[in-house]
Amino acid sequence: MPAWVKGAAADMDTALSAAVELLGAARTPVIAGLNADVSAIRAAYDLAGRVGASVDTLGAAGTYAELGALSRVGAMTSTPAEVVGRADAVLVVGSAPWNAALSARILDARPSRGRAAGSDRALLALGGSAPQGGTTIPAENGILPALALLRAHLRGHLADDSPIAGAAERLSGSLYVAVLYDPAEIGEFGVETVQGLVVDLNDRTRAFALPVQGGNQDRAVVPVAAWTTGQAPRVGFGRRVPEHDPWRFDAARQVAAGEADAALWIASVPAPAPDWLGRVPSIALMGDAAADAAEVVIGVGVPGRDHGGVLWNDTRAALTYWPAQGAGAPADLPSAAAVIGQLAQRLAGRSETAC
Amino acid sequence: MSTLTLREAPPERLDFLSITPLSLSGLSQGEAERLEIGTSRRGLRLGDCFTVALDRSDTLVIAGGHERLDRVGASLSGGTIRVEGDVGQRLGAGMAAGTLTVTGQAGPFAGSGATGGTITIEGDAGDHAGGAVYGAKAGLDGATLVIHGRAGDHCGDRMRKGTLLVGQAGAHAGARMIAGTLAALEVGDLPGFGMRRGTLVVGRHGTLAPTFVETGSHDLVFVRLLARHLARISEAHAALLARPLRRYSGDLATLAKGEIWAAG
Repeated sequence: MPAWVKGAAADMDTALSAAVELLGAARTPVIAGLNADVSAIRAAYDLAGRVGASVDTLGAAGTYAELGALSRVGAMTSTPAEVVGRADAVLVVGSAPWNAALSARILDARPSRGRAAGSDRALLALGGSAPQGGTTIPAENGILPALALLRAHLRGHLADDSPIAGAAERLSGSLYVAVLYDPAEIGEFGVETVQGLVVDLNDRTRAFALPVQGGNQDRAVVPVAAWTTGQAPRVGFGRRVPEHDPWRFDAARQVAAGEADAALWIASVPAPAPDWLGRVPSIALMGDAAADAAEVVIGVGVPGRDHGGVLWNDTRAALTYWPAQGAGAPADLPSAAAVIGQLAQRLAGRSETAC
Repeated sequence: MSTLTLREAPPERLDFLSITPLSLSGLSQGEAERLEIGTSRRGLRLGDCFTVALDRSDTLVIAGGHERLDRVGASLSGGTIRVEGDVGQRLGAGMAAGTLTVTGQAGPFAGSGATGGTITIEGDAGDHAGGAVYGAKAGLDGATLVIHGRAGDHCGDRMRKGTLLVGQAGAHAGARMIAGTLAALEVGDLPGFGMRRGTLVVGRHGTLAPTFVETGSHDLVFVRLLARHLARISEAHAALLARPLRRYSGDLATLAKGEIWAAG
């Protein structure tokens, strides 16, 4: 089982001891990444509570763009299956959603259920380029002004013969509209405008938003954080109660400001490590372990490949169990949850560790 | 005049929510020094970082600030706090009455949710000055916030009531404004994005969103009254209203009852 301390190969016991020393001596440790299965995310919050650490996630920018808008204006959302089955008009905001697997499913099929069954699917791209047969809505001045213009047209506050006016007409004349966006790309203002646009569309037809948030397990972290702490992901346990503060517990900011003095990076689902990791004494639990990623590196199994685990399922927009793949999986890799559990256990036995 | 003198840079972020003239007035020297202000698991007491001199008056001077001093004057209900130096986030957040002055820089979310009193930042402010924190109903909510220097992005975001005067503000000043008045000598791109109601008075400005439409030049009694009101706080801001003004109405993407007065 691969483990390294300061770049040199080490056995598990040595690596765990070094990690415990590092975390136990810290005043303000941070636990970041959380790109892992539900059991590891749970263990991470448990450990954070024990050592008074704060928690941050890999996809926090997108997560907070989404949650910020949700907390202010609410959300009308749909699921991928509903959109593939029912939408006769799909508005894709920005360029990121085109990279998602869902886009291919939408392009490949016509609506098969509901009132729009059998009809053609209109594809509109705002701030990106539509594929063959779709309509590209120009957004030279950026996505935000274009979204605002579209909403102003839908509300009847503006009227002209621009492409945006045409798009507004096309959308309100459809039977089931889906608006796809990546919150990290369009930001909180963008998400809020999309949700407002969907609400306005619902005065005339059916419309739903569908966030496409690929590339991280934040959608798994949000419910775990909510049921564990009652809060969104970025909480700190320094004062023994979970305090939610998206600004204060931004791990990159904490490291840049010299506030964090130890970091635990968790990415059992492989993800690139942030550049701030090397600037603070750190421990990394990684699915694709590299010896020089942190002061202490422990290789862990990838959930859904080396061991079973509950992960966010983009296709179904739900948390689902992914079993281990094949019989030839490397059996000596511990799960991230097991390693975090051992860290917590050893820290509890270390007398000077508070909490 | 009670005084807290910073002896050394704090090793962690400090929470000054409970440090107000009123809360200190009933405490002995020792009790005040033992007030918990730390935010890490180690914890920190007021006396660990500050030399405390109390006289039970309603004026508190924090001599020597630091960017790690969070929530200075938050929920202040009266009296005066003067910080000679910098402060961290949420300066005067939720403040109801009193006077709060910072001679240095302030972190983000200054004056967030403040319903009354006056907050003056003589240096620069971070992002979201007078803006709402995550999940909060509103930003500045009735208080007066004056920033002599620059403010970051999202200044006055979701502000609901009160007056916000700023030298230069970054992008998205007055975004999603619910109501209130924001005057700035200069703002960045997309001022007033998503604003519902409220008034922005700006000197130089970046790109306006296409969802603001020019509604011509006006000679309104209200503008002269507003100028007189602003002159009491800042002559430079009142002078904006004496220049030729173009009025833009918006944001048409929302309720469209807001206005931007751009001084020519």
